[in-house]
Amino acid sequence: MAEKKREQAPQQTVQMRPGGRGPGGPGRGPAMREKPKDGKKTLKRLLSYIGSSKYLLIGLLAVMLVTTVLTLAAPALQATAIDAITILPEDWSNLAVHINKSLLVKTLIAIAAVYLLSSLSMLLQGILAAKLTKSTVMKLRGDLFARIEHLPLRYIDTHKHGDIMSRMTNDVENISNTVSSSIASLFSGALTLIGTISIMLWYSPIMTLVAMVTVPFTLLFGTKVGGKMRKLFSKQQAILGRLNGHVEEMVTGHKTVTAYGRDKRAIEEFTELSEEMKKTSIRAQVFGGTMGPVMNFLGNTGFLLIAAVGGYLALEGSISVGVIQAFLIYARQFTRPINELANQYAQIQTAMAGAERVFAIMDEPSEPNFGKLYPESIRGEIELKDVVFSYVPGKQVLKGLDLSVSPGQKIAIVGATGAGKTTIVNLLTRFYDIDSGEILLDGMELRDIERDTLRKNIAIVLQDTVLFSDTIAYNIRYGRLDATDEEVRAAAKMANADSFISRLPNGYDTELSESGSNLSGGQRQLISIARAVLADPKILILDEATSSVDTRTEMHIQNAMVALMKNRTSLIIAHRLSTIRDADKIVVIEDGVVAEAGSHDELLAKEGAYYRLYQKQYAGIAT
Amino acid sequence: MKKILKYLKPYWFVALLAPLFMIGEVLGDLMQPKLMSKIVDDGVLSGSMDVILKTGLTMILLVVAGGICGVMCTACSVKAAQSFGSDLRCAAFRRVMEMSLQQTDRFTTGSLVTRLTNDITMTEHFVSMALRMFVRSTFSFIGGIAMMLTLDVSFALVLACALPLEVLVMVIMLKKAYPMFRIVQKKLDKVNSVMQENVTGARMVKAYVREEFETERFENANGDLCETNYRVSRLLALISPLMMVFMNIGVIAVILIGGYQVEARAINVGDVMAAITYIVQVLNSLLAVGMIFQMISRASASANRIAEVLDTTPAIVSGSEQPEGKGEVCFENVSFAYPNAQGDPVLREVSFTVQPGEFVAVLGATGSGKTSLVNLIPRFYDVTDGAVYVDGEDVRALETEALRAKIGCVLQKSELFSGSVTENIRWGKEDATQEEVVAAAKIAQADEFVSKLPEGYDTIIGEKGASLSGGQKQRLSIARALVRKPDILIFDDSTSALDLGTEARLQAALRENLRGTTVIMIAQRIASVRNADRILVLENGVIAAEGKHEELLETSELYRDIFASQQHNTEVK
Repeated sequence: MAEKKREQAPQQTVQMRPGGRGPGGPGRGPAMREKPKDGKKTLKRLLSYIGSSKYLLIGLLAVMLVTTVLTLAAPALQATAIDAITILPEDWSNLAVHINKSLLVKTLIAIAAVYLLSSLSMLLQGILAAKLTKSTVMKLRGDLFARIEHLPLRYIDTHKHGDIMSRMTNDVENISNTVSSSIASLFSGALTLIGTISIMLWYSPIMTLVAMVTVPFTLLFGTKVGGKMRKLFSKQQAILGRLNGHVEEMVTGHKTVTAYGRDKRAIEEFTELSEEMKKTSIRAQVFGGTMGPVMNFLGNTGFLLIAAVGGYLALEGSISVGVIQAFLIYARQFTRPINELANQYAQIQTAMAGAERVFAIMDEPSEPNFGKLYPESIRGEIELKDVVFSYVPGKQVLKGLDLSVSPGQKIAIVGATGAGKTTIVNLLTRFYDIDSGEILLDGMELRDIERDTLRKNIAIVLQDTVLFSDTIAYNIRYGRLDATDEEVRAAAKMANADSFISRLPNGYDTELSESGSNLSGGQRQLISIARAVLADPKILILDEATSSVDTRTEMHIQNAMVALMKNRTSLIIAHRLSTIRDADKIVVIEDGVVAEAGSHDELLAKEGAYYRLYQKQYAGIAT
Repeated sequence: MKKILKYLKPYWFVALLAPLFMIGEVLGDLMQPKLMSKIVDDGVLSGSMDVILKTGLTMILLVVAGGICGVMCTACSVKAAQSFGSDLRCAAFRRVMEMSLQQTDRFTTGSLVTRLTNDITMTEHFVSMALRMFVRSTFSFIGGIAMMLTLDVSFALVLACALPLEVLVMVIMLKKAYPMFRIVQKKLDKVNSVMQENVTGARMVKAYVREEFETERFENANGDLCETNYRVSRLLALISPLMMVFMNIGVIAVILIGGYQVEARAINVGDVMAAITYIVQVLNSLLAVGMIFQMISRASASANRIAEVLDTTPAIVSGSEQPEGKGEVCFENVSFAYPNAQGDPVLREVSFTVQPGEFVAVLGATGSGKTSLVNLIPRFYDVTDGAVYVDGEDVRALETEALRAKIGCVLQKSELFSGSVTENIRWGKEDATQEEVVAAAKIAQADEFVSKLPEGYDTIIGEKGASLSGGQKQRLSIARALVRKPDILIFDDSTSALDLGTEARLQAALRENLRGTTVIMIAQRIASVRNADRILVLENGVIAAEGKHEELLETSELYRDIFASQQHNTEVK
C-alpha cells in the first residue's frame, strides 16, 4: 500500500516565507497512478540508469532467454510423454498393446533435465534481477540526494518538504519495483508470447487460430476494465491521502486540538472521510474482483474450444492427443503474459511518472558557484551597496540597501518583522543571490569568491535551531569535524551549555530525539551556539540566536559572546534590545532600506526610528 | 490480534458468506480438470463429438457459476474488510484523540500516524486477503488432493513425498526472511531520517559546507539499505525455483505412475492429464498458504501496534462537575514530574491563587517549569501531587470539556491547520460570526496583515501555516484564543516572535478588551509583564518570588537580576 501524499499542492498565493520554516516530515499519502508527460524521454533516461551496469543487464536478459526457452520446451516434452502412455480405446481391452516405455523413460529424463536447468536459470535470473535493482536504485537515489544537497535554498524553501521526501522514497521505490518485476516480466512475457505462438504454429496452424480466438476479448476487457479500475483506485488513493493528512495534522496538533475541545469535530471529519474511503474502496475492489473471474471464463472458453476442435482434429487423425495436451498448456502460457502485460502497464505508468518527478529534481540547476577566488584568509570587511532583492519577482524586500561593516566590528540589525533582516543573512551566505547592486567582502565581489570558501569563513546561528538525531557531541562537532572531545567540551563551556549537558544522564553522548525535542528551546540554541564557536569563523551571524534563552542565561553567556565576537565581524539580529545594546553599530532597517545607523546612545539622542522602538520596549508598555 | 478481530463481528454475515461463495468458486475450478479428462477420454479418444460438446457446455456453465461465486466472494470479503477497517480506524483515531498529552508523547506522534494509517491498511488488507485467499488456497489444496485420489489412489505416493518437502523448505525460507524484513524497515527509516534532516536543515548543511559529508552519510545509509534489500531478494529468489523443482518432480512422478496405471488399464490417459493439473494446483495452493502465514505474522505485528493504541485507557478521565465561577485558579501544594523522567520533579509544592480578572505573569529561566505549570490548568497533564482548582473545584472533578471551554490557550508553538484564516480563528468558537472573528483578529493585531493577504480572511493557510511568518502565526493563534471570550486566558511565551511595537499594541488592546478575564502569561521580557497585577518568578520548580513589578524590584534579588539583564545598567525608568 502506498503511504505518501502527493496531492497537487494548491498554488500558494501567499508569499512563501524565506526563513525556511516550512513543514517538515515525509509526506504521507498515496502514490497516484499518473501518466508521465514525456514518456519516451523519461524511459530513455531511466533505461540509462538501469543500463549503467551493462554486463549485469545483458547477463540478465541472456539468462531470461534461456529460462523462457526452457519453459517453452517443457510442455512439448510433456506432450511426448503423454503420447507415450496413450492407449487408444480400441486397444483398451487388448493387453498386448503396451505403452511406449522406453520413450516414456527417455522423455521423463529429458523433462527432469529441462526442469532442473530452468530452475537453475530462474534462480540466476532472480539473483541478477535483485542485483540490478540494487545497483540501479543505489545510483538513482544517491544521485538524487547529491542533487538535493546542491539545490539552491530557493528551491527547498518554496517546495513542500513532504513532496521532496516523497520523491526520494515513494518514487524511487516505485521505480525499484518496476526494475525488479516489470522489466523481467515484460521481457520474458514478450519472449514467451513469441515462443508460444511459434511452437503452436509449428504444431498446428488451425489449432493456433482456435487458441487465439479469445485473445481480442481478453485485450478488450483488460484495457477497458483496467482503465476504469485505475480511475477508481487513484480516487481511492486520493482519499487515503486526505485521510492520512487529516491524521497527521490532528495528531501533530494534538495539544491545540485538546485545548480547543476540537476532538469531537476531528473525529467526525475523520469518520466522514473513512466512510467515503470505505465506499470508494469497495467499489474499486469489487470492480477489480470481476477481472479474475472474467479472465478465467475467457480462458476456459478458449480451453473448451481447443478441446472441441482438437478432439475433432484428433478424430480425423490430423493431430495426436499429446498435441491437445500441449496446446492446453500453451494456451494458458500465452494468456498469462497478456494478462501480465495489462497489469504491468499500470505499474510501469506509475514508475514512469515517479521517474519523471525524480528527474525533474535532477534537472534543477545547482546553486550557482562561478567564483574563482580562493582567498586564504578573510579580514571580514563587508560592504553592501544599493542592494536590491526580492524573493518573488515584483515584491522587493530590499530596496537599495547600503551597509558597511569594518573588520572585527559588531553590528546589530533591528527592525520590525518582515523588514528584511533575515534576508541580509540569506544574501551574505549566498543562500540567495542579489537582484542588483553589489556585496563586497574584503573588497571582492561576493559572487567571485568560491562559494564553499566563503561559507567556511561564516558561521550562522539561527532562531530555528537545526539539530540532527545523533549525539550532542556529534551536533557540536558539526561545526568542525576534526575537533577533539576537549575542543567540543570547551566550545560547549563557552556557550554555557556544558553545565546542562553534564547533567544529562549520558552527558555528551546523549542521543537527541528527532529534531531534538528532548531539549528545551533555549538549550537547543545553546548547542547551536557551541557549534558556531567550534567552527571558529571569521564572520559570525546570529539571527535571533538567543530568543528562546531567558535573559539571565543570556547575560551569563554574554561574556562568552563578547569573547566569541572578539576579532570577528559579527552581525546580530535580535528583537531584544538587551542583546544588541552593546553593539558597535546598530542599524535600523525599515521597509527594505537602512533607516538609520549609529551607536545606541547616538541613536537615542537622534530620537528617530530606534528611539521609537526603544520607547515601545521600555516605556510604551508601561503606559 | 483477537482484540482487533472483534471489530469484524458486526460484519460476520458477509464475512461468513465470502468463504461460502469461495467454496463454490473452488468447486468449479476443481471440477474442470475432471471434465477435461472426460473430454479427452470419452470424447477425443472415443471420437464422440457429442460428449465433447455436452461436457464442454457443462464446463462453461460451471465456469460461469464459479465466476459469479467468485465475484460474490470478492464483494462480500471486500465489504467485510473495508467496513472492519473503517470501524477500526475510527475507533483508533477516537482513542488517540482521547489520549492525554503525556500518552501521545509516549507513543510519539510519528508512530501514532503510522499506526493509524499504515498499520490499519495492513490489517484491513490482511482480513480481505484471508477471507479470500486463505479459504481459497485451503480448499483447493484439500480439494485437489481429494480429486487426485479419486483418480487413482497410487498418486498418494507422490503427494506423500512432495508435500512435506515443500513445507519444510517454505518454513526454513520464511523463518530466515522474516527477521530480514524488520532490518530492511530499520534501514529504510535511517535513510528517511538522513533525508529529512537534510531537507529541513538545508541551511545548516550549506552554511557549514557539509554537502560532501552528508552525501557520504547518505551513501552509507543508502548502501546499507540496498545491500539488505538485495540479500532479502536473493533469499526470496531461491523460493520460486526450489518450488518449481518440487512441483516438476511431482509432475514427472505423476506421469510415470500414470503410465504404469494406464499400462495396467487402471486409468485412462485423460486421468493422467487431470492428475497433472491437480498436483500443480495442490502444490501451488500450499505455496499460497505459506505466503499467507507469512502475511499473518506481518499483519499481527501491525495488529499488535493498533491494539496498543486501543488498549490505552485515557489517563485524563473527565469529572462530572460543571465549573461555576468567573475564572479563579488556585494551585495547592502542586508537584509535578513528567512520567519516566529522571531527576528532580519539574514543579515542587507550588501554591498560589489567581483571582478572577487578575493578570498574573510567570517569569523564569529556561527549564524552570513555566510551561509545565500552565499545562496543569487545562489538564494537559495531571498533577503528581497536590491539586489545581478552577473556580473552587479540583480540575479532576470537573468535566474536562467544560473546563477547557472556559480556557483560551495560546501555546508556545503556534499550531495552525490547513484551512482559511477564518476557519483557523473559528477553532476557538465554532459558531463565531465574521464580526467576532475580525474583532478577535483586531485585538490580536492580526487584522492588518490578514487584510493584506490576497484573499483576506478567506486566504487558505498551507499545511501547518507554512506560508506565514512566526509572528503572524502567533497572532493568529492569539486571535483564536480570544474569539472564544474565555474566562481564563493563558499565554505560554506566545509573543516571542512579535516585534516590540506589535507587542506593545497587543498588550494595550488586551488590557482594553479583556477586563474581567483572568490572564496568566508566561513571558521572557520584563516589558511584557511589568503591568501585571502580580508576577511569579519561578526557579527550579518553586516560586522564588512574587509580587508587583516595583515590589519585586525591592525584594527579589533574582528579579532584579533578570531586570538588569534586560535593562541598560543605569537606565531604569
